[in-house]
Amino acid sequence: MSRSWLSASNLNRSYDHGPNRVHAVRDLNLHIARGEFLSIVGASGSGKSTLLNLLAGLDTPSSGTIEVDGVMLGELEPRELARYRARLVGMVFQSFHLISHQTALQNVELALYFSDVGPTERRERALETLDRLGLSDRVDHRPAALSGGEQQRVAVARALVKEPEVLFADEPTGNLDRKNSEQIARILMESHARGLTIVLVTHDSEFAAKCSDRTVTMDYGRLVSENDSPRVRHDTA
Amino acid sequence: MTLRDGIVLATGNLWRMKLRAILTITGVVIAIGAFVAMLSFAAGSHGYISNEYQELGLFNTMQVYPGKSSEDDGESKIPTLDMNAVDRFASLSGVNVAYPFDDFSVDAMFGDTLLETRAQALPVAAARTKLFSRVLAGRLFDGDEDREAIVEESFLEMTGTEVADSVIGERIVLAVRKPDVERALFHVLSDESGELGEALSRVVPESLGTADYRRRIMTGTLGGVARRFLEGFLEGGRVERETLIVCGVVRGAGSRSLRTAPILVPAEVARRMSAGTIGTDPAELYAALQSGRLFVGEGGGDGEFPRVTLDLGSRANHDEIGDSIEAMGFEVFSYARQFEEIRRSYLILELGLAVVGLVALVTAALGIVNTMFMSISERRGEIGVLKSLGADEETIRTIFLIESSIIGLLGALFGILLGWIVSRVASIILKIVMEKQGVPPIDVFATPLWLILLAVMIGLGVSLLSGVIPAARAARVDPVVALRSN
Ligand SMILES: Nc1ncnc2c1ncn2[C@@H]1O[C@H](COP(=O)(O)OP(=O)(O)OP(=O)(O)O)[C@@H](O)[C@H]1O
Ligand SMILES: [Mg+2]
Repeated sequence: MSRSWLSASNLNRSYDHGPNRVHAVRDLNLHIARGEFLSIVGASGSGKSTLLNLLAGLDTPSSGTIEVDGVMLGELEPRELARYRARLVGMVFQSFHLISHQTALQNVELALYFSDVGPTERRERALETLDRLGLSDRVDHRPAALSGGEQQRVAVARALVKEPEVLFADEPTGNLDRKNSEQIARILMESHARGLTIVLVTHDSEFAAKCSDRTVTMDYGRLVSENDSPRVRHDTA
Repeated sequence: MTLRDGIVLATGNLWRMKLRAILTITGVVIAIGAFVAMLSFAAGSHGYISNEYQELGLFNTMQVYPGKSSEDDGESKIPTLDMNAVDRFASLSGVNVAYPFDDFSVDAMFGDTLLETRAQALPVAAARTKLFSRVLAGRLFDGDEDREAIVEESFLEMTGTEVADSVIGERIVLAVRKPDVERALFHVLSDESGELGEALSRVVPESLGTADYRRRIMTGTLGGVARRFLEGFLEGGRVERETLIVCGVVRGAGSRSLRTAPILVPAEVARRMSAGTIGTDPAELYAALQSGRLFVGEGGGDGEFPRVTLDLGSRANHDEIGDSIEAMGFEVFSYARQFEEIRRSYLILELGLAVVGLVALVTAALGIVNTMFMSISERRGEIGVLKSLGADEETIRTIFLIESSIIGLLGALFGILLGWIVSRVASIILKIVMEKQGVPPIDVFATPLWLILLAVMIGLGVSLLSGVIPAARAARVDPVVALRSN
């Protein structure tokens, strides 16, 4: 395994839910190399989304540390953490989370508002990315006027437009049919080939095996198995 | 995120919620409008006092008019507002100068133009009061016997003169017609046709008790006599001429009660000219005929004046002077008193506007708070997305503060417009009221730049203040929770 670029150590995230405490993530250790494509599979409620939020700096762990490129996320000021999300991280949410009153183009452009990109360049890059995802004839559509697959691709475009170092994708093919899933898979593998680090959450282990270098399984907030994928793409690429 | 991006995002959001935004903005518009109207009155009436009233010394001016016969005791005689009365006013303590308004018709020859106009006596003591202090060109005369004339601004208009200085030193010839009652009477008696005499001889004195008969005689026979009398009056008589040099141009007051004749002449000149004169104005002739003034002859100076102006000392007791003149049976008009009355009624308006403004401002602020909270709770998911995309708390706060400032700014701009309209309308009404009450009508509303800036600042300040708590709450939205519940 190559040198770790992103690592989580003894990571815990629990929620107090009345008298009960829900341990969404517990004692988790994970090392991800730069340029790696990692898939996380696991049952519903096993803590996959929670883990992604922690790694993306959107959520704070109850205990444990996350280190990205030698920087401890827990030691960052809120402003610096926001910068980390703005520049390094791309996120695709389980349920798209597009802004319903904005067009596809505006949704994608929004990702560049927080990283010193001028309006002209913003527009150019957003159009380019939408084009790359085969959405050039959908730029002025609002999410409601897009199909599920198109919405998901807009969400992916929004994550990729800022050319992040790492992409956290939460069930990007969750509700999609085979054809749309394959299209997303192709885009992810393409980006991976360009050197993007990807952490993909999916319940589709076949999909995981097909695209990623390595698959880990979560169960009740823990990593229970770690299987290297048969193909390690970036080794051969 | 740049400020421009923030403004674009915020306006987009407001535009999307047009109706709600407009309603919220309307609240601010009403508040700012009320404030602007109120403050523009305060700003304007301040300038009003320090300018016109001060300049003309109106706070120290009083007008006396002939008394009216009271209904209940019709027997009591009405005192005449004559020179005798003027002297009595002048002797009251606190009265600096008392002078009558004593004008008469003249034919004025100025250059090539012949004007039928009016002239007025202006005693030197009166010329020295503030009322005549607005000298546009030249100077006032120094002696009551000087052979000089002062013209009022309206004279320039009549003669089509544009530069006030150009009339100084010019010659003006005033002509009045001296009546000749004997010749007028002779004209009646020398009725060649004999019709009048015949008509008069047909009058049956016994029937004069019948109202109907009386009316017929009055309008027919006696009317004919009067007509002939006036004909003779107008054709006869001698003409008196005075040649004067224009020495100054003054600006009079705009009000009816202070209006001066277009030509002002020294007292002595006026006395010479107006003694026993009568104008050519038919209405005036009739009036003179009726009152018997026409037959007074060339006594002079014993006429009755339409008004007497008093110039009071700075420490004069207005009420005391007013009361003692009223006790003599005259009517008194005090500008200071009148102004106070108008001012008081407008203070009530001002107070009303202040209350409306304050209530509206508080309501508007609550409206903004409410709108912002609604907007935020609707957009929790959006805030979560923005945060996941890298927006920090500062940025989120800024976006919402910009949104509430735009509400305040638009509210302020339209509010200024509303306030301006309200103050214009109130100003027009007030001018009409002032004109009616005989006070110089002056614009007491002003909308200076500082007032506009202040209104913008109030609008912005209130909206920013109203936005602070909602924006802080927006900034604190937990993105994980927001995205999960969306
Ligand atoms: N804000 C929260 N408050 C309380 N419990 C929470 C909260 N967020 C997550 N959990 C709990 O943590 C556990 C993990 O949730 P998470 O969303 O990470 O699961 P998941 O693996 O992504 O599931 P799925 O595959 O259904 O998306 C769940 O049991 C969930 O109920
Ligand atoms: Mg999940």
